[in-house]
Amino acid sequence: MQQCPPEDSLERRIEAILNADTPPDGWKEALGKLFERYLDQQRLLDRLTHIADRFQAAERERSQGYMASYEKKVRQLEKIVRISDQYQTMLHQLKERLEHASNYDSLTGLPNRRYMTVRLEEAASQAARKNGNGFAVMIADIDHFKAVNDNFGHAAGDRQLKAVARALELSLREYDLCARWGGEEFLFLFPACDQTSAPVVAERLRKNVSAAPRISDNIATPTVSIGYTLHRPGESIDATLLRADEALYKAKDAGRNCAIGM
Amino acid sequence: MNNLEIAQTPSTPEVRADSGQGRVFMSGDSYPENPFDFFQPIIDWIDDFLKNDDRPLAFDLALIYLNTSSIRAMMDIFDRLEESHLAGRSVSVDWCYDPDNERVGELAEEFKEDCTFPFTIAPRS
Repeated sequence: MQQCPPEDSLERRIEAILNADTPPDGWKEALGKLFERYLDQQRLLDRLTHIADRFQAAERERSQGYMASYEKKVRQLEKIVRISDQYQTMLHQLKERLEHASNYDSLTGLPNRRYMTVRLEEAASQAARKNGNGFAVMIADIDHFKAVNDNFGHAAGDRQLKAVARALELSLREYDLCARWGGEEFLFLFPACDQTSAPVVAERLRKNVSAAPRISDNIATPTVSIGYTLHRPGESIDATLLRADEALYKAKDAGRNCAIGM
Repeated sequence: MNNLEIAQTPSTPEVRADSGQGRVFMSGDSYPENPFDFFQPIIDWIDDFLKNDDRPLAFDLALIYLNTSSIRAMMDIFDRLEESHLAGRSVSVDWCYDPDNERVGELAEEFKEDCTFPFTIAPRS
């Protein structure tokens, strides 16, 4: 509730002056006080406006500052994510390289013994589960390989190994597998290869090696002896390998550069 | 001011900070179990050096793998260097990498992107 100003207040006196037909005594002094009060109010308003403006500016700066540091953080985060992704790609590629290195022979590029062992076990368990998943195992050994190493050096031996590996690899179908099993020994897994086709396949391997291009004029074309066998469903892969090995010995005994099955 | 010597472990890099020479060396992989514990002393050392000294500060880096927290810590370090550089301080980074692993060089380039101070990236010869 608004309080009435007292009788002698400036407001009342000004009102009285304005209502009078002729200016009463003391009008000038009242007007002077009014003007003084007006100036006070004006100064107060100026100060208030100034303070309010400063508050607004400060608030705006603060939110702009938040915005800027927020944007900076976002950019930083995006950068961290980008770099982190690249590191992960790098690790992934490294893992693939290591995986390849652990499964492949670096000289010939063929699968290595470790890889082949896993695949043989897989093939054996498949054969045990389902009829008609039989497979043939063959071992090819380069004849007189030691002589190449001894007479022409290990570099020549390595080239000979690569040449034989290439010739053997070119004799394979899509699902056949050839691994470097040991020094100059190669092991084959031929899925769906039976009694009739095994000797034909072995013979093809043997011929392809002896038809391979020579690595040097003074080094004879390599030949291989091959022992092969069919996996008997239910038997261990070691038993199959042992039989293939025996067959290989027989081929060596029979004068080399031939294929014998057991 | 003390020097800082942190021996390399399988998950943390070797770190040597020499206040006499104004050099910081970091080399190896970085995926510390507790990134804050690992990096804070390094960042403190850098702050100390930048604050209490006006000599140049040079970084020799041969970092290889960095996990996400380590990336963040390195970006913090580079931010500090950038700030000092803009304030007129002489700072620099030399990041060398195994030429067999080009990717590490590409990653160093990513770090360099927002830095205006001297930042060289080169395969180890």
